Amino acid sequence: MSDTTLEIRNLHARIAGGETILRGVDLVVPRGEVHALMGPNGSGKSTLAKIIAGDPAYEVTDGEILLEGEDVLALEPDERARAGLYLAFQYPVEVPGVSIANFLRLALNARRDEDDEIGVMEFYQKLQRAVAALDWDESILERNLHEGFSGGEKKRSEILQLLVLEPKYAILDETDSGLDVDALKVVAKGVNAARGPEFGALLITHYQRLLNYIVPDRVHVMVQGRVVTEGPKELAMELDQKGYDWVREQVGA
Amino acid sequence: MATLVDNPALSEQAVEAIVARYDEPAWLAEERRAALRSYQAQPFPTPRDERWRYTQLKRFALDGLPLVDAPAGPEVSERIRMRITDSDAEGVLVHKGSQVVHREASIAEQGVIFTDLRSALRDHEELVREHLYSVVNAGHGKYAALNAALWQNGTFVYVPRDVEVALPLGAFTSADRGGVGLGRTLVVVGPNAKVTYLDEYTCEPFDEHLFYDAATEIVLADGAKLRYVSLQNWSRNVAHMNTLRAHVGRDARLESLTVSLGADAARAEVECRLDGPGAESEMLGLYFADEGQHFNQYTLQHHAADHAHSDLLFKGALRDASSAVYSGVIVVDPGAQKTDAYQTNRNLLLDADSEAVSIPQLEIGANDVRCSHGSTTGPVPEDQRFYLMSRGLSPEVAEHVLVTGFLYEVMSRVTLPKVAQYVERVVQAKLGVPGVKEKL
Repeated sequence: MSDTTLEIRNLHARIAGGETILRGVDLVVPRGEVHALMGPNGSGKSTLAKIIAGDPAYEVTDGEILLEGEDVLALEPDERARAGLYLAFQYPVEVPGVSIANFLRLALNARRDEDDEIGVMEFYQKLQRAVAALDWDESILERNLHEGFSGGEKKRSEILQLLVLEPKYAILDETDSGLDVDALKVVAKGVNAARGPEFGALLITHYQRLLNYIVPDRVHVMVQGRVVTEGPKELAMELDQKGYDWVREQVGA
Repeated sequence: MATLVDNPALSEQAVEAIVARYDEPAWLAEERRAALRSYQAQPFPTPRDERWRYTQLKRFALDGLPLVDAPAGPEVSERIRMRITDSDAEGVLVHKGSQVVHREASIAEQGVIFTDLRSALRDHEELVREHLYSVVNAGHGKYAALNAALWQNGTFVYVPRDVEVALPLGAFTSADRGGVGLGRTLVVVGPNAKVTYLDEYTCEPFDEHLFYDAATEIVLADGAKLRYVSLQNWSRNVAHMNTLRAHVGRDARLESLTVSLGADAARAEVECRLDGPGAESEMLGLYFADEGQHFNQYTLQHHAADHAHSDLLFKGALRDASSAVYSGVIVVDPGAQKTDAYQTNRNLLLDADSEAVSIPQLEIGANDVRCSHGSTTGPVPEDQRFYLMSRGLSPEVAEHVLVTGFLYEVMSRVTLPKVAQYVERVVQAKLGVPGVKEKL
């Protein structure tokens, strides 16, 4: 398609050397829009997210992932990130010994030339803006990456990183799961702060609840490794009320 | 099977030559002669010895090497000058071969002695005599016996009762020629006294092979406190052996850190004996082997008294077909009730060609104790690597972050920021972080 979309074309994939999970995913997220990807447990949503980011635990057997027209399948995860992709993890890892601030400096400098490291002022302005958007205290930046963080703090950190790294396209893998309403509102505020004509996002969720706070432009529904239907934001409400059996019947899955 | 062969240069004549050259007192001459007899009577270690089972013994061979005497030149290398400037030390000694090539001391505290062992023998003979060989002697193995017989010089630290030394003291042991080098450290901390002391081994690379045999004796009287760091960062033409033992008195506390970064092969035997109730020993170890290096560590936490506490954490990372062996024992004597003893060894394998062996053991003779030991060896967790790369970090930077994170558990407990920074820098250089040069 055009060179302002993230497009998944006929994507087939399996666990490296194992079970097939994705059976022909087709999906387009234009830059400037936020789409939701919903579906029952085990439908392959999180697998899709990790494969877009380049998780070596999976093997793509067919199809393409086009970042503004460029196939990224041959790229390593770090190259994809530098090309503008971002995955907010469902389960972010803990890395002791590296503060969030230092980690983000490394991540930002990875996107720049070796002799053009980010300036101190510019760096701190970015951090301060992100921290403020998430109603967080700056002291969080000096804590080690996710060490001793609660589940909610880890999710918030994923959005913090998103705001600082400013990707073109972000995949948010169940960023809402395990959050209470207050935490959900904070995370949603962060994502909404990132919204704009230069930013596209795919929100993966089980629940319509998140979509009350981050209103999507489109909703896609995934069942058994394929996107089986899509529609406007009202589709999310309908799924919430009727469940997924209704979709399964409709597509004969 | 690899066997080690004796070296005719390590002889009675060599002992007599040292005794005569330095006009040593009779008691010391007798100690040396007895130690040499013990050295000659002890067989070289073989792979059948449990403590040496996985050691690549050939890399610790000493045959064919002359005894190192005077250095080729008396100059202090740029590298050591930088280390001195960076160390914040109140007193510094630089050893090279059998000579002291540099010393600076501005120790304000009363009665503190910080000098080389030769000068200490001349000026404080009774003090040296009282403690020398009391903790490390010919009974502690072939290499300890060799050192006891033929040591040439070393460092003497003495802090009298109730004196606290504010700033660290440090000795740098350097070299510029091959052979068998033997140095000895004796640290005596009096009742309720306190000091920080650092032994650092480092040199610029040179062509010949050096086998360096160190012995480190630490005596902590009741209530004494010592922070001790042994930092080995020799160039790759060196094999390093260190027998490091401490006796820890009642309510005394030893915080030791043993770092292995340099040399072709290095073995550290780190032992503490907790002699009085309330004695504490924190034993930290850190190693990072690359380019085929071989590191060995043997540790002993010997609880000879009740209500004592020891906590050991040795962590190491390996890459480029390197190898490490950790073998550690907690011994609790009968009667050492209410012992609290912990021992952990963890290894991070950065590639499939490197290997680490870990053998933790307990020998418990008392029934009311808390002891635990554990070890893990494994590769970098793939989920961590993927996470970091998904943020744009190159594989090299991601590895650096993960190694730093892995070693952080040890580094965060090192209470000497200058030492921590230096170790971090050497690790970065080994990892090839651009712009960092400290590796030899």
